[in-house]
Amino acid sequence: MMSEKIAVAVDDLTVAYNYKPVLWDIDLSIPEGVLMAIVGPNGAGKSTLIKSILGIIDPIAGSVKIYGKPYSKQRDQVAYVPQKGSVDWDFPTTALDVVMMGTYGALGWIKRPGSKQKKQSLEALEKVGMLAFKNRQISQLSGGQQQRIFLARALVQNAAIYFMDEPFQGVDATTEIAIINILKELRKAGKTVIVVHHDLQTVPEYFDWVTFLNVKHIATGPVKDIFNDDNLTKTYGINYKVAVQQ
Amino acid sequence: MNPMLEIQLIAAVTAAACAVPGVFLVLRKMALISDAISHSILPGIVIGFFITHDLASPWLIILAAFSGIITVVLVEMIQKTGLVKEDTAIGLVFPALFSIGVILIAQNANDVHLDVDAVLLGDLAFAPFDRWMVDGSDWGPKGLWIISIILLISLALLVAFYKELKLSTFDLGLSSALGFSPVLIHYGLMSVASVTTVAAFDAVGAILVVALMIAPAATAYLLTVDLKRMLLLSVLFGIASAIGGYWMARLLDASISGSITTVLGLLFLTVYLLAPNKGLIAVLFRQSRQRIEVSLLTFLLHLNNHDSLEERRVAHLQEHINWHRVRANSVLDLAVKNNMIIIEDEVVSLTDKGLEFTERALDYIMTNKDEKIEDMKDDFFLFRG
Amino acid sequence: MELTDFFTNYTLRTITLGTAVLGAICGMLGSFAVLRKQSLLGDAISHAALPGIAIAFLITSAKDSNILLLGALVSGLIGVFWIRGIITKTHLKTDTALGLILSLFFGFGMLLLTYIQKQPNANQAGLDKYLFGQAATLVESDVRLMLIVTGISLIILLLFWKEFKLLLFDKNYALTLGFNTRFIDGLISFLIVLAIVIGLQTVGVVLMSAMLLAPAAAARQWTNSLGVMVGLAAIFGACSGVFGTAISASQPGLSTGPVIVLVAAVFVTVSFIFSPERGILFKQLRLIRNRRELELKKTLYFMYDIVRKHEDVSRPHAIRILNNFQGFTKNTLSQLAEKDWITIQGQNWSMTSTGFETAANLYNKNLPEP
Repeated sequence: MMSEKIAVAVDDLTVAYNYKPVLWDIDLSIPEGVLMAIVGPNGAGKSTLIKSILGIIDPIAGSVKIYGKPYSKQRDQVAYVPQKGSVDWDFPTTALDVVMMGTYGALGWIKRPGSKQKKQSLEALEKVGMLAFKNRQISQLSGGQQQRIFLARALVQNAAIYFMDEPFQGVDATTEIAIINILKELRKAGKTVIVVHHDLQTVPEYFDWVTFLNVKHIATGPVKDIFNDDNLTKTYGINYKVAVQQ
Repeated sequence: MNPMLEIQLIAAVTAAACAVPGVFLVLRKMALISDAISHSILPGIVIGFFITHDLASPWLIILAAFSGIITVVLVEMIQKTGLVKEDTAIGLVFPALFSIGVILIAQNANDVHLDVDAVLLGDLAFAPFDRWMVDGSDWGPKGLWIISIILLISLALLVAFYKELKLSTFDLGLSSALGFSPVLIHYGLMSVASVTTVAAFDAVGAILVVALMIAPAATAYLLTVDLKRMLLLSVLFGIASAIGGYWMARLLDASISGSITTVLGLLFLTVYLLAPNKGLIAVLFRQSRQRIEVSLLTFLLHLNNHDSLEERRVAHLQEHINWHRVRANSVLDLAVKNNMIIIEDEVVSLTDKGLEFTERALDYIMTNKDEKIEDMKDDFFLFRG
Repeated sequence: MELTDFFTNYTLRTITLGTAVLGAICGMLGSFAVLRKQSLLGDAISHAALPGIAIAFLITSAKDSNILLLGALVSGLIGVFWIRGIITKTHLKTDTALGLILSLFFGFGMLLLTYIQKQPNANQAGLDKYLFGQAATLVESDVRLMLIVTGISLIILLLFWKEFKLLLFDKNYALTLGFNTRFIDGLISFLIVLAIVIGLQTVGVVLMSAMLLAPAAAARQWTNSLGVMVGLAAIFGACSGVFGTAISASQPGLSTGPVIVLVAAVFVTVSFIFSPERGILFKQLRLIRNRRELELKKTLYFMYDIVRKHEDVSRPHAIRILNNFQGFTKNTLSQLAEKDWITIQGQNWSMTSTGFETAANLYNKNLPEP
């Protein structure tokens, strides 16, 4: 199922906000073809890790390689689903328009999306079950529907590696199932999927690979091997069971 | 009293009266509300003048101040509809009301002793001519009386509600939990700001009122975070700029209120650049030091994480941590100077002190007590970055 | 002034063209300012432009409006950078930074203006127009400049449309796709500053920001498409410009700025109230209708509760058994009948099969989702 190829290699990564370290000396390698959760308490730097891998935040030390090359040379290999709350959903645009944005990277500067891009976007909308809503203004969508739109936008990028920042945050149960099914499909197609995840209870059910993170990198590996009390305690402290209940 | 002294006195009292509500506006992130109020009281003043025919009438002040409150309410109403974002709501309301005021003045230019210049600049130079006569005896300029009374009222309110104001400014949740109505304090503050703006409008005009409200408070805020000290400092800055501005205006033969604002601007610029902790120079200095010190921490942690000889070679470190040679060298230097590491045969190792420092720092970060790292640095560092 | 003057009078035509073009560019670029949540930055920039105009005049002692506008541009940009510096390097917040720069620069500008007015030799007349704007002073070369700036902005807008939209909606995402967001951001900011500066002569520094905001805020209410919004804002802006100029030209002593702003405010008010989807009026109507609908359904549900205990759904019941139900009035009853949910015969009512189904569905919907 899994090849030995390394999709993402993080080397000695240190990130600071206002000169306060939020990630310290992270070494991490993610093999190709895994469906991986990044877990850790609030403020552990989970989103920051993704953002610095994607070049949104500049690290103060260390390097990131995507299939052996810096991210700037591998953009077409990578798709990103930001946190739903990071954008203004009252923006005057439609669901289809947002999904089309996924094609902009491949288009490059100035070139406009055409019928080919539109077709790809409609397919992606269909895949997430949102085709009927393609002309809906995005503020009129429910939280779960908005999340699906974001997922469709990433699908359009047709990448090898998908980074997702809390895709299950504030979505209904149906959407959660729909999303996880799509993620599993992606893995089946040989893609690598990396998800910032909050809900520890669903980790064994959804994911096959997991990274524990709390400012420092604690452990990475197959869920069945390393998702245990020992690592949970190291990440969340002695009271981690409280965190699981949340 | 001679007119020169009287003008300075009016300017100084106006500045002090503006500084007091200004502090709270700045702290409550409502500085732009003062901008909105100062513009939109104009129609209130003009209409008030039609009714009272006296620019210094208390009725006019109340009427105009009321139009300030209406602005605040209107802005809040538009915000509540969710049709536009909040700052757009402010930006829509005040130009419209100000325009109505300007047009009313232009239409009735002959009846109103207001012209567009007075709207923008006030007429401080003429303030001493409008005197308060009681039974033929001269009690001094009316403007001075009005603004002094307003200053006294707002000082009295400040003293009476100091605790409530402070609490609702810094901890809204707690203050409502304790039963102080935040809404009441909000509108109380807005009323004081409106009344002060109307009274100061006479002296310095619509837009410069904003400067008198915000600039002293902002300048003081760069020097202290203590509320009492901030209030005191902003009143002082206001008064100093008023008097300094007066003399500058005489020197240049230019508008007094323009000069006062310019002095305020220079004062702010100076403090902005030179304030000991929060000034630009101090901030840049501190940031560059923090940058190198965070790099040092990173470097020490890296050593702590990797025991193998290979990972600790100087050349390897440079390549691995992905720093330029210069930065890597300055970090190495700093670490050696502070006895955090020793270098033998191009291999770096942590000293006991370095180890202790690293582990304590990491502990603080993991437990979200980052601020303690700064204190710790004082204990460990012989030389700072 | 006669209406025919408008089309025959050369000067008037120039002025009208100028204000129309200005309104269009302000509406267009103002849409971006509003969507970037930087509505009041424009206010600070336009006020900050004043000392630049005065200094340019002091240096060149020329009234060439292009040089004065260059001064305005420079000091407006200094204002922007200083605001950024205050926000990023100190703990003062955005609103304080905007208010500070706005009032301090403006005060300094007023100091310079009054200083210039007292100079004996200077031909200082005409600087006043930059305060509240005087469209009547527009000459052909001014309008030509506006046309050129608008043309360039339009071309840039069309070329980088996709990038602008992406940046405005989701900046981080744009970054991961490999777009230089700092460049796009800078381009938008620069265009906005440019629009402000060329509008100063017509609308004035004091009210320029409203010219950016009002058409965009009005246009936003009528559409959910960025393209249509920008286009509509341009049209609203142009109309405000033309009507405002016409009204102010018909009365002596009236500056153009305030009149244009009031016309734009009318557009905003009408849009806020009457826009079909977002407008307050229709929203309120929908709210009332929904509330009535809910009342109706509550009554139906109460009836359903009575009916379903019996074998025969359409069995008639006495109206008075509804009396202890609160939401019930004669009116609701006839409305229910109108919807064909019940039928009324004398003092009795009976539920139809459609009514029964509707009520049953109502019940299902209330169940939590599986």
